[in-house]
Amino acid sequence: MSNNIDFKELWNREKANAPDISEIFAKADQLNRKTRNKIWRGNILLSLTVAVMIFIWWYYQPQLITTKIGVTLVIIAIVVFLATTNQMFPLLAKTNVETDSQHFLAQMIRVKQKQDFLNKTMLTGYFILLSLGVFLYMIEYAGRGSLAFQLTAYGITFAWMAFNWFYIRTKSIKKQQNAINDIISRLEGVNKQLLD
Amino acid sequence: MVFEDIYQDYWNKVFRICMGYVNDADWAKDIAQETFIIIWKQLPNFRSESAVGTWIYRIASNNCLRQIERQNRMPTTELSEQIEYKPDPDKEWQSKLLYKCIAELPETDRIIISLELEDVKQAEIAKITGLSESNVRVKVFRIKEKLTQKFKQYEQ
Repeated sequence: MSNNIDFKELWNREKANAPDISEIFAKADQLNRKTRNKIWRGNILLSLTVAVMIFIWWYYQPQLITTKIGVTLVIIAIVVFLATTNQMFPLLAKTNVETDSQHFLAQMIRVKQKQDFLNKTMLTGYFILLSLGVFLYMIEYAGRGSLAFQLTAYGITFAWMAFNWFYIRTKSIKKQQNAINDIISRLEGVNKQLLD
Repeated sequence: MVFEDIYQDYWNKVFRICMGYVNDADWAKDIAQETFIIIWKQLPNFRSESAVGTWIYRIASNNCLRQIERQNRMPTTELSEQIEYKPDPDKEWQSKLLYKCIAELPETDRIIISLELEDVKQAEIAKITGLSESNVRVKVFRIKEKLTQKFKQYEQ
């Protein structure tokens, strides 16, 4: 009996009234706006950071070149970080949906791998630049205090940096990596289904 | 080619394919809408090198596959709940059961069988999935067997 089930007939029973076409346009518009807002937010954050740094430069009038290099490095670190998290990923993640499933899956796997690599490199780069920047920046101001003051200032800063480097950096890399690896392995699993 | 016509002709087909993939009417509607947004945006660049149907189905199935990225949503294996009064309740139940069974298959099998049930030619399915035609034939045969078995199990 069941061998004669007419799957096609059962399949065609499922119908949903096509939503009004304006709904599609509205949704497309909403998506566009979302992306635009995201880019705006990123840009505003970037400009604010740079503005604060320039203000420090102008207001405190640093004498030593190390301070200036330090401030510049911190700016670069923050710019790099914000730029990668806010704007580059959508560009990198651009996939061609008009290709066949096999290529599409391979493409998605590649994008995820790239993202994984970027995460690691960018986070590491960010921490190196930031720590170096803060260190250079401190030289001028710490140098004005007593030896005990200098030791405490550098001690605390280094402890804080070490904590960031060994704990926060490792932890956030690991967290992102786990999420990405999970998706990659699922994608690979699905891709394998096609080859079986 | 006018987008409005494509939308009218293909909405139900695309929706059913998404429904076979996720077995959740709201979710399927979302994926179908995303598919039509892409179609609308890409239509001016579409060159009729391939049939428009193949092109649309490629976008639809890739959009389904993209759901793998969403970790928290898994296809529902519950029977879809929107029960309306229909002249043939028995067939209606069987239809829901069919979608449930399809959504339980491996991801690519869901797409292949959905296209087959949508009456897409196997040569086209090959172009959509990137498999060879003979491979599609074998797969369709196997999936149908699996589906019949599942269906029988649930029916008892």
